Amino acid sequence: MFSKSLFKQSCKANGIMWIIITVAVCFMLCCVMLIAGNGSLGETKAAIENAVIKGELTSQTENRAINYYDLADSALDHFDNKFKTEFAAAYAQALQSGATQEQAAAQAQTVAYAKAALDLESGYYAALIQELGYAADSREALEIKGAIFYVLNPMTAPGKYMFDEDYKSWGEDPPRYDALLPDLISGSDRYAEERGKYVMNYSSMFLAGNLIKDDNIQLILDVLSDYGVTKEQFDEFGFGDYSYVKSVAQSVVVDYRANLKYRLDNIKDGETEESIKADVKGRCAASLLASLPSDVSDALMEIGQADLYGTLVGSIFFKMAGLLLPIIYMIMSSNALIAGQVDSGSMAYVLSSGTRRKEVTFTQAMYLIGSLFAMFLCTTLASVICFAIVDVNTGLDYGKLLLINLGAFLVMFAMSGICFLASCKFNRSKHSMALGGGLNMFFLVATMLGLFGSPVLPSIIRMSALNAFNYVSIISLFDVVSILEGTLAYLWKWAILAVIGVVCYVCGALIFDKKDLPL
Amino acid sequence: MNEPIIVMRGLTKDYGEGRGIFDITLTVHRGEMLGFAGTNGSGKTTTIRNIMGFLQPTSGSVTVNGLESWAHSSEIVKHIGYVPGEIAFPDLSTGVDFLKSQAEFLGVTDMGYAEKIIEKLQLDPRAPLKRMSKGMKQKTAIVAALMADPEIIILDEPTTGLDPLMRDAFLEIIREERRKGKTIFMSSHMFGELETTCDRVALIHNGRIADVAVMAEITNRPEKEFKIEFNNEKDYTAFRAAGYKIVRDQRQYNQITVALPREQICRLFKSLKSYDVKFITEVDYNLEKHFKTVLNSVKEI
Repeated sequence: MFSKSLFKQSCKANGIMWIIITVAVCFMLCCVMLIAGNGSLGETKAAIENAVIKGELTSQTENRAINYYDLADSALDHFDNKFKTEFAAAYAQALQSGATQEQAAAQAQTVAYAKAALDLESGYYAALIQELGYAADSREALEIKGAIFYVLNPMTAPGKYMFDEDYKSWGEDPPRYDALLPDLISGSDRYAEERGKYVMNYSSMFLAGNLIKDDNIQLILDVLSDYGVTKEQFDEFGFGDYSYVKSVAQSVVVDYRANLKYRLDNIKDGETEESIKADVKGRCAASLLASLPSDVSDALMEIGQADLYGTLVGSIFFKMAGLLLPIIYMIMSSNALIAGQVDSGSMAYVLSSGTRRKEVTFTQAMYLIGSLFAMFLCTTLASVICFAIVDVNTGLDYGKLLLINLGAFLVMFAMSGICFLASCKFNRSKHSMALGGGLNMFFLVATMLGLFGSPVLPSIIRMSALNAFNYVSIISLFDVVSILEGTLAYLWKWAILAVIGVVCYVCGALIFDKKDLPL
Repeated sequence: MNEPIIVMRGLTKDYGEGRGIFDITLTVHRGEMLGFAGTNGSGKTTTIRNIMGFLQPTSGSVTVNGLESWAHSSEIVKHIGYVPGEIAFPDLSTGVDFLKSQAEFLGVTDMGYAEKIIEKLQLDPRAPLKRMSKGMKQKTAIVAALMADPEIIILDEPTTGLDPLMRDAFLEIIREERRKGKTIFMSSHMFGELETTCDRVALIHNGRIADVAVMAEITNRPEKEFKIEFNNEKDYTAFRAAGYKIVRDQRQYNQITVALPREQICRLFKSLKSYDVKFITEVDYNLEKHFKTVLNSVKEI
């Protein structure tokens, strides 16, 4: 089946062309990979990415701050009511038992404080987490508990408070809620204002103190993993810093309180306090992306998440630029292997030496496939070396690089099958070139046009009408996106490419075996 | 000697519109050299392609050594040395490269015979193939066809492009092959070279065999023709009545062409003594003339 002499002849005839094209392709590949990997790629992308990440982090923090404030505020409202009732009862009792007004007040405050604190924990808090559906030891429940009780900082014994140590470790003066209580009892006007500030300050402190804990940072990083945020970036933006987080929290709560007050003072028909709260909260803590129209925010997010290097190497080089030269080689050599020799008549020397036609087609097909395979071995080697040299943030890795090279070879295999079929079918070079070459060039150009409409490009510059071209090109069956994303969709597309190639080569051989040759 | 080597029976390759070859029946025997004459486009090359098994006959058959050409092309060509009509070499750099590659294809290890032919043709095979003149290419092709010492040699217009001296050298090589007992099938549109080398010459015209001439019969014809011109009309008239077989009569020139058996040549000269003869010349009967006669008779029919 295999003619060594013919293979040698084909090597001699097409060897120089192969070397030139292979060197050119590898050179181009190295240029693309090294220059693009040099860091200047996508500065805009990096800026957008950072802006989006910072916005997201701030929004996350602000959301929490308002949540904590709300939790603490509601809890303390409950505490205040309880305290007032208990205080009145205890004060009356103390007066009855003959204490002076001052003594009675002090006694009643202590009793009422203890009762209210107890009720806050066993009554209010227990009911709250039950209502929200959290188990008592769940992370959420503990967070709510922290948000409430850190702000209250309950007195455990006279002069002893539960969380003093923590506040001191953050470098803050611990809160004394009991110091505010006399104002509450006296019904002073400034009480509401004082308490608002108190809750705001201490819930912010708790938030900041809580947020800079390592395990909480990890939680946030997990939430933002879509954006590829690293611990370094997190710190760079200041979210590992207590005072920064505190200031962010404080300022948003100020904002929230002011807005809320205004809205509640000017309440409109159909608005409830709950709906206003949710609305104001949404406005104050809106993320950067949420504040933009959804199309724009999607686009920004897309750019932020785009893997430019992977796209450049995979979709732009190996699907288009890097295929051009191999396609030219393939068109010329597949034509020279069969149709060219029939056209010129030199095939007569091969066939009149007793070489069977099946041997001719098999040997030439082996040469064509083998030379393309060798070409992509070279590009594989070149791309692996370049990838080892450059240092870029990309989803690409060595395994994917190998798969991309293999995919490019499979595309070339299928396309060379078409060229080979045309070469076997036609006796004239120009006809074989026109069909095989023309079709493959069409595929390449369609892919180039299709790129501008493909999801590979950020939607800002995408022209979706051009996506139609992707459906008429067999190069689309080389699914770089799937390879880069690590899904398995590329496998069945490869299978189609392999089938196209094999069918074309076999048909070519059968046609050549049966046709009249003008030799 | 009479063993048939190439047998064509009703061989037809119809390209449509009257083009192609039709109903060709021809046998080439072992050791015979058959010339294949015909004008351009008459079907010589198509016939040869059928013999080589490159074309599938529309009907009829052609066998070489008893094997059907189309079905066993790769078998039969092993016994054939083929010089194609259109000389185009594989994409190799020099003549030596090509000959070496061809030797590899043919399984030839001893290049001695090839070198002998190269020497006879005065070929410098080291020249790059692209820069070779038509004659050099032709010589290289001949070397490639002959170097495996095949028992059948098929040549498609092998002498086109060769200068007259080279043509003689080439024909000498062919004659030598023939002396060695090779079977040779050579097409040409030059009747002269077929005349001097072939045993038989087949004439193909518009895709059909018009005639197969045996050269021995043409060169050794029993009848000769002479053209005689007389100086005066009186002698002309007298000679006309002398009873010779007159082939052509041109009164305005006082010319008469007569045909007579070889033995009677002496008698003719004796009788001419009494006439006033301006000139006498023997009219050559060659292949060309023969075929012209044949074609004319075909047309008349």
